[in-house]
Amino acid sequence: MEASLDAEKQAEILRERYGKRAPARGFGDSVVVPKRLLLPSVEDPSIWAVRCKEGKEREVVFSIIRRVEERLGTKNEVPIISAFERGGVNSVMKGYIYVEAQRQNDIMIALDGILNVYPRTKMILVEIKDMPDLLRVTKTPNLEPGAWVRIRKPAKYAGDLAQILDVTENGLEARVRYIPRLDYGVRDDALAALDANGKRKRPGAPGPRPPQRLFSEVEARKRQPRFVTASNAGPNCWNYMGDEFDNGFLVKDIKIQALEVKDVNPTLEEVTKFASGAEDGTENLDLKALAASLKDSNTNVAYVPGDIIEVYHGEQRGVVGKATNVQGDIVTLQVTEGDLKGQTIEVPNKGLRKRFRAGDHVKVIGGSRFRDEVGMVVKIVDDRVTLLTDQTNTEITVFSKDLREADDIGGQGSLGQYSLLDLVQLDPTTVGCIVKVDRESLVVLEQHGETKQIMPSQITNLLPKRKTAVAADRNGSEIRLDDVVREYGGQQRQGKIIHIHRSFIFLHTNTTNENAGVFVTRASSVNTIAAKGGRINAAGGPDLDSMNPALKRNPAGNNAPPPKSFGPDRAINQTVTIKKGGYKGLLGIVKDTTDTHARVELHTKGKIITVAKADLAFKDKVTGRPIDITSRGRGGYGGGGGRGGFGGGGGDWAGGSRTPSAGGGSERTPAWGSSKATARTPAWSRNENTAGSRTPAWGDGSRTVNPYDGSRTSYGGATSYGGATSYGGGSRTPAWQSGAMTPAPDGFGHGSKTPAYGGSSGGDAWRAKTPAYGGSGGISAPTPGASGADSWGYTPAAYDAPTPGAGLGAPTPAALNAPTPGAYSAPTPMVSAPTPGAWQGGWGNDGGAPTPAAQVAPTPAASGGGVYYGAPTPAAYGPETPAASGPRYTDDD
Amino acid sequence: MFFLHNLERRVTLHPSYFGRNMHDLVTTKLVRDVEGTCAGDFYIIAIMDAFDVSEGRILPGSGLAEFTVGYRAVVWRPFKGEVVDSIAYSVNPHGFFAQAGPLRLFVSSHLMPDEIQYDANATPPQYTNNADIVIEPGTHVRVKLMGLRTEVGEMWGIGTINGDFLGCLQV
Repeated sequence: MEASLDAEKQAEILRERYGKRAPARGFGDSVVVPKRLLLPSVEDPSIWAVRCKEGKEREVVFSIIRRVEERLGTKNEVPIISAFERGGVNSVMKGYIYVEAQRQNDIMIALDGILNVYPRTKMILVEIKDMPDLLRVTKTPNLEPGAWVRIRKPAKYAGDLAQILDVTENGLEARVRYIPRLDYGVRDDALAALDANGKRKRPGAPGPRPPQRLFSEVEARKRQPRFVTASNAGPNCWNYMGDEFDNGFLVKDIKIQALEVKDVNPTLEEVTKFASGAEDGTENLDLKALAASLKDSNTNVAYVPGDIIEVYHGEQRGVVGKATNVQGDIVTLQVTEGDLKGQTIEVPNKGLRKRFRAGDHVKVIGGSRFRDEVGMVVKIVDDRVTLLTDQTNTEITVFSKDLREADDIGGQGSLGQYSLLDLVQLDPTTVGCIVKVDRESLVVLEQHGETKQIMPSQITNLLPKRKTAVAADRNGSEIRLDDVVREYGGQQRQGKIIHIHRSFIFLHTNTTNENAGVFVTRASSVNTIAAKGGRINAAGGPDLDSMNPALKRNPAGNNAPPPKSFGPDRAINQTVTIKKGGYKGLLGIVKDTTDTHARVELHTKGKIITVAKADLAFKDKVTGRPIDITSRGRGGYGGGGGRGGFGGGGGDWAGGSRTPSAGGGSERTPAWGSSKATARTPAWSRNENTAGSRTPAWGDGSRTVNPYDGSRTSYGGATSYGGATSYGGGSRTPAWQSGAMTPAPDGFGHGSKTPAYGGSSGGDAWRAKTPAYGGSGGISAPTPGASGADSWGYTPAAYDAPTPGAGLGAPTPAALNAPTPGAYSAPTPMVSAPTPGAWQGGWGNDGGAPTPAAQVAPTPAASGGGVYYGAPTPAAYGPETPAASGPRYTDDD
Repeated sequence: MFFLHNLERRVTLHPSYFGRNMHDLVTTKLVRDVEGTCAGDFYIIAIMDAFDVSEGRILPGSGLAEFTVGYRAVVWRPFKGEVVDSIAYSVNPHGFFAQAGPLRLFVSSHLMPDEIQYDANATPPQYTNNADIVIEPGTHVRVKLMGLRTEVGEMWGIGTINGDFLGCLQV
């Protein structure tokens, strides 16, 4: 009938029929009543807890409902008010039902004869204050297929991640799949064995558990073929030892009590293992389920003030802001984007996630395997953030909740005392370079090229970087740390040397990420591309933070390379006496030499012995006088050594302020080389001394030159010609006497003359000539540099005037503080004397008033222009006046 | 982006260089020390002039003289979002590395257009869309900087070629 009416009328009828009921509400709905007043009181019925069979709570309650219905309206109605249960797997109230009634006896009547409930056992009266708690609802985590849980019970799998496939209807068991830990019977013997007490060991006893690995049918068949049967559940399903395996995963029904369903916190790595199971290799990760599992455990997402947070759930969805305060579950956000910009809102922790942008520099925190990695975000998909790590330039993917904005760099640079790229000793024969630092382990690249993961404790020791380590490359060139070399053959990899260890070199390159860009090869198989030293020198200019090399007073000494001698060793065939050792005093002839030793045939015994060269004294074959074999024929060198102070700009060792002779072996005289016959230095003829470098002339001079005695220009002594001062007998340097002629400075008409020339005016051969020239006179050539310090104090020879300079270590004064412009700019007559560097020229300019002496200053060295061997001997150039600024140096010692 | 930037630096000089041309030496040293370095978040490309060399002050202890030099330099500061031209120098499955002047940067494969794929079979390995774009070591690539990181004496960036006019340059 009603169907024939139109809708409006029908509605009208309904309203009439039922409409009035609405207003008849209880007072609880109409007004706000304080909760307190709603609580049960003593007048209200009591609640008893009645024991029942565990797991049957609900059944019992349903039985009660049925009984109530049955007896409704009969004489013996069930006298209870309500009955309920709070069973459940994890409930603490399981095993009881709760019945509300006025009297305890009512309950006995109501429950009498119902199965599985035991009203005759002791009932518990629930206290009034506890009553509300009975009905408090705690949300049970509902397990849905696809969600993640952790296994608690079989100890072997404790803590392993499992995925729920299904939940049985009664909610007590779940079908889960997880990665098995199988050893395929490898340890069966151990299981069968009896322990010390003669008891069987309990299976599943604590011990090493096999690693997680997907079930392998092949392996199982190999070891225990009879336990493996194919299951009909699917193509890749097997039964093995009573367990079911699907696609390698173990599938099993597990009681929910044996599962941890809260705070599962699956890490992405764990989850990925499940995802990779697909046959086609595609990633079938159910992110929703994963995210759900993660959301359950929001508790350990820590938001910190300053985090940029996005609300992705709830009313405020889409809001982005910066956390300003975090209190418990509530995060206060300062909104930075959108309509609400500028406002501060409070949102529950739950629907939040941290927000990053591509390019942000972030650090991994929290439970990921990548903890402490730092990197830059390259991609963001929902919750998953991909970042490129700083350390190894690899990409990793983590959840945004595990990230924080980072300011610092590096992070995982080191583990204990070991840091990336360190060279470590693994065993006596093996070294390796650390190419990766994890939280607890290291990866090293061994010398043979394999990588190995090790614990820090496996390292014997750390090999410090030896800055001086040198190896020879394929061509025999020296290679050192930081040189850039390329492999010859092979992959032709190129890299910078970071370690040299015996014949192996560890190289680093930026072109690959493999092993942090480190590779190892043999030193003998690389070619040098760019030696670091070379580059540095090329950069040019001296180090302005350290001593000006041009001014070094006495750089010779230690670092000067010994002059190289050409041709056969002059010691060979010389007559020598031995100065030290058991053969001391014996005479012999040198038969053969090495750099340091000589084989000497002794006259006395007809025997050949090996003696250090330093222990030999050379004698003239005929006269038996001591001679200096090294100086002979090396005069050229000596001259070359005597660079002017300014020559130092060349930056080589010879630079600086040597006296002409000092530069070389100190014993040479410039004059020497020129002609043995005529131009002998006095030293020469004065054979008494090994040094041989006395000033010749000065028989008369009689040591006037001693710097300490005041009236002389003591410093003249420093230069070879200073020696000439002795000439004058007075305080003059030869240069002076010769009318201040300077060879170099051309400015003065006479100036251009060398003292030697001046000599012509002097009339006195002695005075006039430069030592070199003096050479012609046989005695006139004063040795400039003079020999060892000892020489001048005593010269028994006829020419007993020592050259003063010798003792003084021979800096040329001119070089130090009296450079004259002339010295620099004016080439010496014979050779151009370019100043080595512009800036040095500048220096020269700074010099004070030029003195005539100073102008004389160009020395052979200067003209030598830094070409050591090419340097002409002073003799050759006769003109130089070594004396230079003799007078100025009186204050120097 | 390039800027002219006024900067200041302390330069020390060994006493052996004291003299008339000291200021030249200071300037020389400044140039040598500073040009081509990375100063935090920018690179000093070239020094235009050193316009203000202070009086030297002798440092107690060492005897070095310290000069405060004000100078003007051309600096390059890469910005997030800036588009730079670079040269790829290494290609791997995750992306490629490129060098924009002194700045090294990485372009992840995620930050490339979808059609550009890694081709490991090519020699050398390359990123290509099988048409006009081929990125291999040596290719000139226009890149937008996504992020920058500064380290001591070095900068490091990541870039994208996902965008209009980005990617391979025809040389």
